[in-house]
Amino acid sequence: MSEATVHSGGIADHVHPEPEGFVRKYIFSIDHKIIGIQYLITGFVFLVLAGLLAEVIRVQLMHANGGFVSADTFNEVYSVHGSAMVWLVIIPLVTGGFGNFVFPLMIGARDVAFPWLNMLAFWMFPPAGLMLFSSFLLGAPAAGWTEYPPMSLQGAAGTSMWCAAIFLVGVSSTLTGINFLVTILKMRAPGMTFTRMPLFVWAQFATAPLSMVATTALAAALAALFMERQFGVPFYDPTKGGSPVLWQHMFWFYSHPAVYIMILPAFGLVSEIFPTFSRKPIFGYKMIAFSSVAIALLGFMVWAHHMFTSGMAPLLQLPFMVLTMLIAIPTGIKIFSWVATLWGGDIRFTTAMLFALGFIATFTFGGITGVFLSAVPFDLHAHGTYFIVAHLHYVLVGGSLMGILAGMFYYFPKMSGRMLNETIGKWTFWLFFIGFNGTFLPMHYLGLMGMPRRVAEYDPQFQQLNQVESIFSFVMTFALLLFFGNILWSIRNGKKAGPNPWGARTLEWQIPSPPHYYNFKHIPTVFSTPYDFAEPLPYAGLEEELTDSPGPQAGH
Amino acid sequence: MAVTTVPHAGVHDDGPDQLYVETRELRLQGFLLFLVSDVVLFSSFIFAYLYLRNTGNVWPPPGINRLDVAFAAFNSMVLFGSGCTMHYALENWKHNNFVKYAWCMIATIVLGAMFLGGQGYEYTTLYFRDHVSWGGSGIFGASFFTLTGMHGFHVAVGVVYLTVLLLQSLAGTYTKDKFFGLTAGTLYWHFVDVIWVVLFSIFYLI
Repeated sequence: MSEATVHSGGIADHVHPEPEGFVRKYIFSIDHKIIGIQYLITGFVFLVLAGLLAEVIRVQLMHANGGFVSADTFNEVYSVHGSAMVWLVIIPLVTGGFGNFVFPLMIGARDVAFPWLNMLAFWMFPPAGLMLFSSFLLGAPAAGWTEYPPMSLQGAAGTSMWCAAIFLVGVSSTLTGINFLVTILKMRAPGMTFTRMPLFVWAQFATAPLSMVATTALAAALAALFMERQFGVPFYDPTKGGSPVLWQHMFWFYSHPAVYIMILPAFGLVSEIFPTFSRKPIFGYKMIAFSSVAIALLGFMVWAHHMFTSGMAPLLQLPFMVLTMLIAIPTGIKIFSWVATLWGGDIRFTTAMLFALGFIATFTFGGITGVFLSAVPFDLHAHGTYFIVAHLHYVLVGGSLMGILAGMFYYFPKMSGRMLNETIGKWTFWLFFIGFNGTFLPMHYLGLMGMPRRVAEYDPQFQQLNQVESIFSFVMTFALLLFFGNILWSIRNGKKAGPNPWGARTLEWQIPSPPHYYNFKHIPTVFSTPYDFAEPLPYAGLEEELTDSPGPQAGH
Repeated sequence: MAVTTVPHAGVHDDGPDQLYVETRELRLQGFLLFLVSDVVLFSSFIFAYLYLRNTGNVWPPPGINRLDVAFAAFNSMVLFGSGCTMHYALENWKHNNFVKYAWCMIATIVLGAMFLGGQGYEYTTLYFRDHVSWGGSGIFGASFFTLTGMHGFHVAVGVVYLTVLLLQSLAGTYTKDKFFGLTAGTLYWHFVDVIWVVLFSIFYLI
């Protein structure tokens, strides 16, 4: 205590005792960095499982009359594929994974506000995943990832399991949202005002209230569905006075903001990557930051655009259509700001940068088809077709997953102390980019020609394009295998990274890789935004971080 | 009861340390955000109830009597009364009156339990006399029992929580400067009160 009294003695100086033993260090850890990596590992394992389900879908669709699996199994496969990708892969990876690992370092904190709550939230996640995948044993949910009643009311027992699993992920997500919000509000290093926060922190700041508020609404919808299925309590069954449209309202009130839970952190990741590899300040810092908040706010007011075909007064359709189109404005601001950041920059085509550039291309494409779909007349035509499948995969795979891959290549050195192999990385990028576009670009055309989504067999005129898609999807899968192989190889054999292999300027790169359990020896003071590449680093108090001087004492 | 004043922090009484002050702020904010998410949970079910109610022409649906407003109003007064005693419990703690604090807490717990008893009486009357049940009475039973049941569950958790807080304060867990648990308990109890104001209005009054 006596040595540390030069500081305030507050939470910023508080250090947990060094964890001892394998279990406390790596399994039931309260260290945000370890929890972040736990989320990443678990999320990637689920990505492999859900990706295998995707390949089952693609193999089935190689032939117009299917034949690989039965139609019933096919329904189960795409339902679990969608649910798993949304709730077990993308959301945990971008919030729990990157959020946990990166943003407390970025704001100069020693941990999140509630480390034990963080551990609790993580340990709800693997059981939820096991429950969702094991629902195949009971007869998996088969009404798509949206599980609209009345179909979901008639589904096999696994549908109730699905409810419980998603409920559990939801609770985990709500707890994480509360934790992150308090951390960002209260635990920033001295001098780090809101307009000096790195953009990834802004992205998490906009995401946290979404995961907190919207997820709770989903929990209510799931609880009602569960009660109706298990105890016959009528909410959604029209024969007992319930309303299936009620589920759609409650589901989309969550699931539209969930889209932004999935994409905003990816925006944040690429907003860090562009200035670093352009060696140039980010263009329009405040606009990028505020547009995240604008997207989050607008995201709550547009849910019913998923329900244009569910029977809605035309007078109501109009505001939902206009509000949805408005979201294109803050999104466009971001995209133009990123492009302007690149303009005249000294661009370095690392793998992380390639993925971030690919992100701009594919996400913009997916975003624009989103504007198409917000228009009621077009939506009436495209609803329930492969156009929707194409759109959502462009924003979720081409957007979120590309952002995740960019983030992995960018942050792997910080997590492990070793670089990922760049040659394999570039192969990964090109194979993934080509495979991805080859798989999903033709779906736009198929959808406009009238191929419905969620069918096990289809009109033979669509077969040729479907075969093309399936072949490209194998390329994409191969790229992901390369990526996982790269991780497994590099974690032992990769080039030593050193503290700051990219010459980046945010706080997490000014400390050793991997960081000590206490993050910073002394909490730094911040003087400016991190992106002014012409200026010296805007931090004070980091002199001892890379030296051998002893770390801070536990307790204080 | 040997202690008659609220225990103080440390011998020197130099107030809570910096770490405690900042940790309390974090906890307070986290707890308020938890309450916000709980509000959303209730709001979602309230939305569901109003939505379903709006799909039919008459409410309550044919074959179901109107709820007994008089009894529920009495029961509400019991709950609101417990909100008052809870308020005085915290104030007395802050003003160092340990005995009054303890009696106010006991009153709050008893009133909370009375409210639960009243709700149990109401449920049994509805079930045995009017044959209204959770699963068997259409959207009326579904929305009424789900929402009031959720609220009742919150009250029950609150009663247990307040009992634990009372025992903790008897054991000396909290001091004049460090009593975040009591603050959280008070906030939670007021939250449960406010939710009941809304539920009472939408089920019994409109």
